[in-house]
Amino acid sequence: MLGVLPGIVGVIQATEALKLIVGYGTPLIGRLLTYDAQEMRFKEIKLRKDPACALCGEHPTITDLMDYEAFCGVRAAS
Amino acid sequence: MPKTVRDIVHEARRVVPEVTVEALHERMTRGEAPLLLDVRDPDEYRDGYIDGALSLSRGFLEFRIASLIPDPNAEIVTYCQTGLRSVLAAKALQDLGYANVKNLTGGVQKWKETGYRTVAYRKMTEEQLARYSRHLMLAQIGEQGQRKLMNAKVLLVGAGGLGSPAGVYLAAAGVGTLGVVDADVVDITNLQRQILHTTASVGKPKVDSAKETLAALNPEVQVIPYQVRLTSMNVMDIIREYDVVLDGSDNFETKYLVNDACHLAGKPNVYGSIFQFEGQASVFHPTEGPCYRCLFPSPPPPGLVPT
Repeated sequence: MLGVLPGIVGVIQATEALKLIVGYGTPLIGRLLTYDAQEMRFKEIKLRKDPACALCGEHPTITDLMDYEAFCGVRAAS
Repeated sequence: MPKTVRDIVHEARRVVPEVTVEALHERMTRGEAPLLLDVRDPDEYRDGYIDGALSLSRGFLEFRIASLIPDPNAEIVTYCQTGLRSVLAAKALQDLGYANVKNLTGGVQKWKETGYRTVAYRKMTEEQLARYSRHLMLAQIGEQGQRKLMNAKVLLVGAGGLGSPAGVYLAAAGVGTLGVVDADVVDITNLQRQILHTTASVGKPKVDSAKETLAALNPEVQVIPYQVRLTSMNVMDIIREYDVVLDGSDNFETKYLVNDACHLAGKPNVYGSIFQFEGQASVFHPTEGPCYRCLFPSPPPPGLVPT
């Protein structure tokens, strides 16, 4: 991985955290900002809240935390 | 016949709408707060005010309000210690032509009793004024914004490639408390991108190395290390204390965990992820907009290179 890449993204995250705290500007809510270091291109994808989302949708089925390793299928056999 | 205090308060209450501390708090968490006006004396204000409130003591109210809040249609909520002085202040503002003034029922006392936070005002030191001078010059930040930063608590999930630059800039900006969660120790292969750590810290826990670097950059920042892997068992206890969570994790299970925990705990989640030459970032807010699961309802097949 290109070493400066997380630098760019981490600083974007810091910028958003500062904006949320101070309360200025337009936060990156509902938008996915993508960055291509090779082509040096930023893009923005509009994100919509999914009414069927299991967590934040209209009828959420996730109301508590779960076993995330099992959910992601990374649990080592033991 | 002269009026009594009770008559005056009663008259004011008849014409000034009231707002409860719960309703105000809810609106503030949604980020659509009205202008808050603390009408107590300056020493009371300094002891603890509601975040974002402007200070204008009752005695100077009529003389200074026009320069402080020029817009007569601005939504204003007045408050004092218990809600009495401020209802009179609200009435005075109405008489001056302010059309949308409400009073906070029970005042800051009720606010604190309900368990909501107040902010203590401390005069900035010469060093702080100098250190943050470039922020103080910005109208969007200024002294009030800098104070918010100094009172803020941000949790960094991961002290790696994303958490490093984020942590460095947040500490430099004067964010008062930075929590850092990371179970790993520094490896030499980390140093190509994880700028919190140095060659001398190879082999040390990342949270300790992070704390050293951040404290050297800005000794005013309180760094709280958590040398653990974030799990369903500990996440709620850890994030409870924080205002904002910054997800700098490098695996899908932690991304889902942080997303769910932030949503359930009502915390904004500043998301970032990287792969090879591509990165992405967003903000998942508990009350507005989509979450990580709206974007990725289910994880990729196991074995895929983590983001």
